[in-house]
Amino acid sequence: MTTAPTNIRKERHDGDTIVVTFDKPESTANTFDRQTLTELEAIVDEIADDGSAKAVVFTSAKSSIFVAGADLVELSKLGQDGIREIGEFGQRVFGKVADLRVPTAAAIHGACLGGGLELALACDVRVASDDRATKIGLPECNLGILPAWGGSTRLPRLIGLPKALDAILGAKQLASRQAKKLGVVDAVVPKEHVVREARRMLAKPLPKRPSHALTNNPLVASVVRSKVGKTLARKTGGHYPAFPRALEVVTRGVSTSVERSLANEVDALTELTQTEVCRHLVGIFFLQERAKRYRVPGTPEIGPERKIDSVAVVGAGVMGAGIAQWVASKEMPVILRDVSREQLAKGLAAIEGLIEPLVKRRKISKIDARAIRERIVPVAHDVPLVNTDLVIEAAVERMDVKRDIFARLAELSRDDTILATNTSALSVSELAESVPHPERVIGIHFFNPVARMQLVEVVVARQSSPETIARAVSFVQAIGKMPVVVKDSPGFVVNRVLTPYLVEAGRLFAEGASVEAIDRAMKRFGMPMGPLRLIDEVGGDVAGHVARHQKEHFPDRLEIPEVLTRMADEGLLGKKSGAGFYVYPDKGRSKPNERVAAMVSAGGPAPDAETMTKRMALAMVNEAARCLEEGLVEAPEDIDFAMIMGTGFAPFRGGPLRYADALGAERVVEDLRALASDVGPRFEPAEILLTMSREGKSFYSAALPGAAIDAA
Amino acid sequence: MSERLVIVDGVRTPFTKMGTDLARVGAADLAQVVMQAVLTRTGVDPAAVDHVVFGCVGQPVDAMNVARVAALRAGIPERVPAVTVHRNCASGMEAITQAHEKACAGRGEVFLVGGTESMSGYPLIYNESAKKKFMGLAGAKTAGARVATLLSFRFGDFSPIIGLKEGLTDSACGLNMGETAELVGREAHLDREEMDRFALASHQKAAAGREHLAEEIVPVYLPPKYERWADRDNGVREKQSMEALAKLRPVFERKTGAVTAGNASQVTDGAVALLVMTESRAVREGVTPLGVLERYAYSGCDPKRMGLGPVYAIARAQQEGAPRLDEADVVEINEAFAAQVLAVLAAMRDPKFCREELGLDDTLGEIPDDRLNPNGGAIALGHPVGASGARLVLTALKELRRRNGKRALASLCVGGGQGAALWLEAA
Repeated sequence: MTTAPTNIRKERHDGDTIVVTFDKPESTANTFDRQTLTELEAIVDEIADDGSAKAVVFTSAKSSIFVAGADLVELSKLGQDGIREIGEFGQRVFGKVADLRVPTAAAIHGACLGGGLELALACDVRVASDDRATKIGLPECNLGILPAWGGSTRLPRLIGLPKALDAILGAKQLASRQAKKLGVVDAVVPKEHVVREARRMLAKPLPKRPSHALTNNPLVASVVRSKVGKTLARKTGGHYPAFPRALEVVTRGVSTSVERSLANEVDALTELTQTEVCRHLVGIFFLQERAKRYRVPGTPEIGPERKIDSVAVVGAGVMGAGIAQWVASKEMPVILRDVSREQLAKGLAAIEGLIEPLVKRRKISKIDARAIRERIVPVAHDVPLVNTDLVIEAAVERMDVKRDIFARLAELSRDDTILATNTSALSVSELAESVPHPERVIGIHFFNPVARMQLVEVVVARQSSPETIARAVSFVQAIGKMPVVVKDSPGFVVNRVLTPYLVEAGRLFAEGASVEAIDRAMKRFGMPMGPLRLIDEVGGDVAGHVARHQKEHFPDRLEIPEVLTRMADEGLLGKKSGAGFYVYPDKGRSKPNERVAAMVSAGGPAPDAETMTKRMALAMVNEAARCLEEGLVEAPEDIDFAMIMGTGFAPFRGGPLRYADALGAERVVEDLRALASDVGPRFEPAEILLTMSREGKSFYSAALPGAAIDAA
Repeated sequence: MSERLVIVDGVRTPFTKMGTDLARVGAADLAQVVMQAVLTRTGVDPAAVDHVVFGCVGQPVDAMNVARVAALRAGIPERVPAVTVHRNCASGMEAITQAHEKACAGRGEVFLVGGTESMSGYPLIYNESAKKKFMGLAGAKTAGARVATLLSFRFGDFSPIIGLKEGLTDSACGLNMGETAELVGREAHLDREEMDRFALASHQKAAAGREHLAEEIVPVYLPPKYERWADRDNGVREKQSMEALAKLRPVFERKTGAVTAGNASQVTDGAVALLVMTESRAVREGVTPLGVLERYAYSGCDPKRMGLGPVYAIARAQQEGAPRLDEADVVEINEAFAAQVLAVLAAMRDPKFCREELGLDDTLGEIPDDRLNPNGGAIALGHPVGASGARLVLTALKELRRRNGKRALASLCVGGGQGAALWLEAA
């Protein structure tokens, strides 16, 4: 089958150089789908047959993307045979590029990831732009697969086994200069010059490549395989098969033929794509992409004139400072308001504590750092907010204080200035009552630490107008965060689902299970840290406050063990106070806190690991099910996405609701009922689970009750 | 076309002695802080500003056209132009009057004006001999030539020219500013005690006026960690005394002089920003300003007697229709030197001087003590040269409002032999 190229252009420059330009129509991105690969193959065949060209340069016409990788949407629809076939197809096309007798170069500006880099690796020379948009890497392992269009084979041959493993297993996206340092690219030049530089390099003898004989041999490869394998096992808990599989393919690849290694790549790819883990990880990737563009149905599109471009943050505490720093780093001016110069100085010092390491690690330049600092205007008194589009209040969690602040903000701002609260517990709708034009009130709930947590809950109050929702969502997206839109309700989604889990961990501790056993159980389950350590991180006082607040609304579902209260009373607040469930010495590792262990008197024998896991995990599942049942979100994926992004809930399980689907509603109901009778009525299964179990449905199988966010 | 200019509001950094709190904060940084603060306080959209005009005398070498550098860093849109102006100590006033002239010429309605100076940041300069050798070093082509050039350096090459000292010397007449103060002091028959008493009063008024002055001040949060801030003028000596002042030795004329570090203005870092606009624009936007720029005049005089500049400028303003001196409820005369201010006062009430030098039939008159520099002056607060002119206007207007007065006069002597006088009216 031959198709007229539409995604790729081939042009002859000055008679003897062929420039092949990726430029998918009506798109800002280039990806490798079947069509593009087919076109590329035809072009490469033509070049080979013609034989008159002296050089071939591959480049892109897009402003910030070279080739972003394989088309995942297309890939995700393929079955086992299809995967194998497309794997081999891509390998064949890139193999033809590598086999061209004409010297070839990739002139890279913008994202050059996955398949994009694999094409570049098939070329003789790589030139990258020094632009920030240029990111180079093989992130496949993060999606549960491995580089299988030659990346796992060619990268170690180019830069040596250790560096290649680092790049592939780290799923790193390198800046051009890092890529140059590693030897992935040969030159870094301004973006306007990538093609010219590539042509210049091809006109000269090609650069000599090091042999890497010291590392790329069977002996070293096998040592590396076993050493790295152990580290991987520890880091991934065995939950992410792509990593060991990639390790295997890459290390075997260096001491075998290219053909053999390519065959290994495809075998591994075919195998990995059939796993649930891969499906879930790709699913999360899609959800992230969706979050970046998401618009709540029934809300207007936000044009440039309604976009948020100036912000005020009220409260210079940890959250306020974190939000101000983040927003300022996204080039928006921020007024930072607190009650005194002392408070502001603390906030500014905290902000400096976030900026300075970025300069040290060369993530940003000194000029960038200064610009971030100078976008933040500290004020200790009321100032007019007539030029401010959005105010984010991050003051203490007290309704009376927040109501006063909001009333004052309403006087200082325009009628259409969005007044947002960063509360993690209080009712946004109640707060909205304190101002005229309550339709501009909404919750914008960031997680701590702001710079690291990508999720932001956009909390829709009863009064929030569709425009307010749309502007808030578009603001969250504009600052590079991922919104999940949630109806105003106690704890919203993340804290709501997390609280029963943390409280259950506390109960298990009160029943005599050890700190280590509890945390180990959930780490094995796939959580990034154990629940008791998480309480220590959050602060026992904060966690306790959230839990008690939630208990007011759901008295039957939370039984807060006395030990949590007692710990807070005795100042054992966790990491910030030096001791909580663990003690945190100034130097060295933390250890379980014996003083806390002594507070509980174990009655019977501690539950076994399996029971503990079940109790904690199902506490989350049950609460997540209720959130859906109550229609707090539009769809089950919102909850799963929120829990994965907001708490690190085991990504390979796809979220609490996917996890429940994997178990099956019937089994979940059965387990919950058993726990309800053995442990306590708080485990009574949610209504929605009972329905599903009766009708043989799963969360993702059918449209379930759970109204979409009411935007009207 | 004539437009009246209103001063909407203004802020300044604290004025701090050279080498102290703001030593690490450059002129551009200081200006950035006040520009941003005045826009934030007034709620005026930065995009509404038509031109930024800032005074600065010793422009930092790493921020040429410091007004532009600071404006960009303050978040003023790129398309808004900015210019740095220089009329020595009157640079901060020049910024205001230039805004007025631009407005009259139809070149804008809203201006961000002021002045900035980091005297801590003044450079030490290599002398000519060293400069030549460094150039030679840069141009040396062989290792041998480099070594030879290196060996040609002498100790004397490394004794720098002090930028501050050079800047405070009038290159037309060769006198240092302190020497010009000694001259006008001598000619006005002032004695040391009078000067010291004037200096003491400046400190006392500034100390008593702390709360008033605090209204003008926006704190500067200090690098590197930003956990500390400066919000007080640190040159004010609450415990200043005649005894302490008497102990100081004359600086400029060791044997017979009277000008000491105690009765001269302090060398200081600081910046001031004012948001000004045409009166018609203010009316249109419903802005209640602090005051109006009513009239102003600049005048030249003998560079050796530059300290008398205010007398010439006030006289010219009066000749051009400004009110009489006794119509001012508040008068700010910059305290470059006690000798110089006292000489100005003496000249203004001297019929001979007024007749012969100014061509007036009558004297300019007297300024009652309680109207002159009511919150102290540069002897206590310091004199960041490029910023002082704007501070006098700001301080005068705020005091005018406090007193419920009608008119204020702000005047300055200018190195090189000039004077500036701005008449302000309460809004």
